[in-house]
Amino acid sequence: MTQDLRYSALKKTPFHSRTSLASRTNKYYNWNGYTVPTEYSTTELEYTAARNGTSVMDLTPMGKYEIIGDHAHQFVDYLVTRDLSKMKDNTVAYIIWCNEDGKVIDDGTIFKFSSTKFMLCCAVKIYNWLNDSAYGFDVTITDVTDTIAALAIQGPTSCSTLKKFGATDLETLKPFEMREYKIDGFDILISRTGFTGDLGYELWTDPKNAETTWDNIEIAGKELKLRPFGMYALEMTRIEAGFIQTNTDFMAAEDSLRPTRMRSPYEIGMGWLVHLNKNSYFVGKKALKKEKEENSTERCLVGLDIDGDKPAHGSVIYNSKKEDIGIVTAALWSPIMKKNIALASLKRPYGIKIKENIFAEIYHPEELEYRKIWARCKVVKRQFFNPERRNKVPADLYE
Amino acid sequence: MPGNSSFDAIIIGGGHNGLVCANILARKNKRVLICEARKECGGMVNNDITNYVPPVTSAVSSSIGGMQINYVPKTTIALSETGQHIRLVGNQHIDHKSISTFSSHDADRFNDFHEKMSKFSKTLGSFMMASPPRIMNNSFSDYFKLFKLGLNVRLLGKKNFNEFARMIGLNIADELEDNFENTLLQGLIAHDSVIGSNLGPRSPGSLINLLYRMAIHNNSLFGGIFQIEGGNDQFTKHLIEKCKSNNVEIKTSASVKNCIIENDCAVGIELNNGEKMYAKKIISNADPRSTYFSLLGSQNLDTDVKRKIKHHRSKGRVAKLILELDKLPSFNNCDDNDLDSRMVVAPSIDYIEETYNPSKFDKLSLEPTLEICVKKDSDQNPKLDIQVQYAPYKTHQGWENVKVNYIESIIKIISKYAPNINECIERKKLLTPDDIESEYNVSGGHWHHGEIQIDQLFMMRPIPGASQYKTHLDGLFMCGAGTHPGGGLTGISGKNAAKAVLDDF
Repeated sequence: MTQDLRYSALKKTPFHSRTSLASRTNKYYNWNGYTVPTEYSTTELEYTAARNGTSVMDLTPMGKYEIIGDHAHQFVDYLVTRDLSKMKDNTVAYIIWCNEDGKVIDDGTIFKFSSTKFMLCCAVKIYNWLNDSAYGFDVTITDVTDTIAALAIQGPTSCSTLKKFGATDLETLKPFEMREYKIDGFDILISRTGFTGDLGYELWTDPKNAETTWDNIEIAGKELKLRPFGMYALEMTRIEAGFIQTNTDFMAAEDSLRPTRMRSPYEIGMGWLVHLNKNSYFVGKKALKKEKEENSTERCLVGLDIDGDKPAHGSVIYNSKKEDIGIVTAALWSPIMKKNIALASLKRPYGIKIKENIFAEIYHPEELEYRKIWARCKVVKRQFFNPERRNKVPADLYE
Repeated sequence: MPGNSSFDAIIIGGGHNGLVCANILARKNKRVLICEARKECGGMVNNDITNYVPPVTSAVSSSIGGMQINYVPKTTIALSETGQHIRLVGNQHIDHKSISTFSSHDADRFNDFHEKMSKFSKTLGSFMMASPPRIMNNSFSDYFKLFKLGLNVRLLGKKNFNEFARMIGLNIADELEDNFENTLLQGLIAHDSVIGSNLGPRSPGSLINLLYRMAIHNNSLFGGIFQIEGGNDQFTKHLIEKCKSNNVEIKTSASVKNCIIENDCAVGIELNNGEKMYAKKIISNADPRSTYFSLLGSQNLDTDVKRKIKHHRSKGRVAKLILELDKLPSFNNCDDNDLDSRMVVAPSIDYIEETYNPSKFDKLSLEPTLEICVKKDSDQNPKLDIQVQYAPYKTHQGWENVKVNYIESIIKIISKYAPNINECIERKKLLTPDDIESEYNVSGGHWHHGEIQIDQLFMMRPIPGASQYKTHLDGLFMCGAGTHPGGGLTGISGKNAAKAVLDDF
């Protein structure tokens, strides 16, 4: 059925007939020009499924780009800060990429099929950036966002669900590996990746196969506490996992109007993804090298463990002299940790050398009145939640 | 640093800027090697491409220990089909007299116009000699330089300041039509405003092009145009001799494949034959596009730098027609002295604009503007060297299919002024911008390695972030016409680059 685009500003994903059926709240949002649910029933229930059963999320709107050509491997290694020169076939890597000033544009995952074929996934659209960067490399870049349907299947019972669905021996798949399956006559790629910080998989297939896949996964997960989950629940899980979100925890270099708002990888806790000793050049290397040499990093992104139980949404962070030293970028009362946690961008040395005597000013809304709370914070590892099952091989199986 | 780093500096390309740069470095006791891809050094300064040269400034000349060459001033003649040519020499009184035979109004206007333009070109020129500021540096001296240009312009007085501001983005046609009534005079000045550029007389910005030209030609419209005694290649021959006496090593037929990069720093070069040479500094006399995309390599560039270089405008629109003759044709109403002058065929502003129009669409105009120069070849036979504007970089039909017709159309135009030209021609050779590109290794075949326009001038030349003769790669410098102040055979780029290199040692 062809869509009459005159009447639909936002596109529907290949799963729309199923996600809209599952929606009890009619809450949608615009993700890269697609309409997708923020919440199906209640965010708390969806979150619980992600942490105790299986959660299913429509990932189709995620930007997906196929990079094909003789220089594909060389190009990908040039594009990102991480050293990918030794990346193996059928593996996935978490990556960030920077502009010429060494400021982060976005993060994402790169899938390697062979040295001449890769797929890059990220939250926002970056086709122009990829194309302009590819000048001089023998590669062709195709936006495959619309031609690949994608689902996230996350949670402790996700492996069992997918096994029942038809993914044999899936438990042997290691984190950041991927494997091609043929299920119900369709090619389905399954990677052990995700954004919840738990055991989980992502599934990539032909849009024609989308509805059947959704239905069959729903059947497979019936006894395994399966539930579709939306953006709000994902936001909860990713904060617990300490994952960063572009334009939430930092401004994408290509989007921010003020140069002082751009962040280098070192400023958002992504220094571990920068390999300055990489043999070849990569975009931003010169600037990042300079930053490292001059030790001119100004900020840091840290995890905060905050007193009390009121989430510190958007709170300003102060030192003991009540000087403004940063801001909370994401906050949450974590149900699984039973902790009041937050991600915060702080001015160094706060967060790096000075980790004590830091306070958040929390405005807690109570029926049209704000209660002001002065809460003590402790700087902690950003990865609040990291269960053993996340990286366990073989993965846990449940009946 | 690799073991055999036997040179202090390697210069890629032995054009005049490369030669000037080499001499200055060698005079500071640096061991310098020049690698030239062609059989001989000199680049585009030779008897084929170059018709006229501006005088070398004393700053350039003294920095290399003096230039012993003689400049012969040349008269400019605007050819008229009726034989009523205008002859200008750059002297206020003679030119006034010459123009007043056509229009006393124009003659008076010409002096005022010249005085004003001269004042502005001097202001601009004061800024051209030194290396441009780099605003990204945030350094005091760079801001001071910028402030000084602003101050110089402001010190022209309120009236002149406003006039300068009015003219900076103006097209030359409007200004000329406001001042002069004689279309031939208008055509001549308009021709000199757009020569070597991608602009028509009615294109915005064509006026600053003229100021720029004046700044390197003694701040004069027609007074700073010279030929060098013994041929224009004496200029480079002289520089090469100086190189030899300064112990600069010159390697010809040595085409450089790329820079050798170690630890994100240029440490040497690799020739196309695989030979590798190392030096402390590498200096590219090549155009910015080749420097970045070939020598440096796109895999070593940040995305935004690639974008900037891709945007760099460097498509030439001047072709060169060489007519070898068995005898000199007789030009209508011209004596022997006139034949020794710079003859310009650009009868009016509209004529030039109409020639320009098709080139915008990569099409040929069969009535191009011409700058004709009578020369003698090595056997003392006469030849006409003709700069033909506007010849598009590429044509829709392909140059090889239209070349013959194009040559004939040019000869047809010349025959309007020299009816017996056809009887005199022995051989014809056309160098299109495309040919110049491949023959002289200049991307786009552009005279100045890049348009001289406000977006590619000063600290934006060739691209922001690379404006002080440094490239984005440590250890790699640029000294060619693509850098500030740009083309025009002044050698200033080479001189300023040498200073930047010396500062970096």
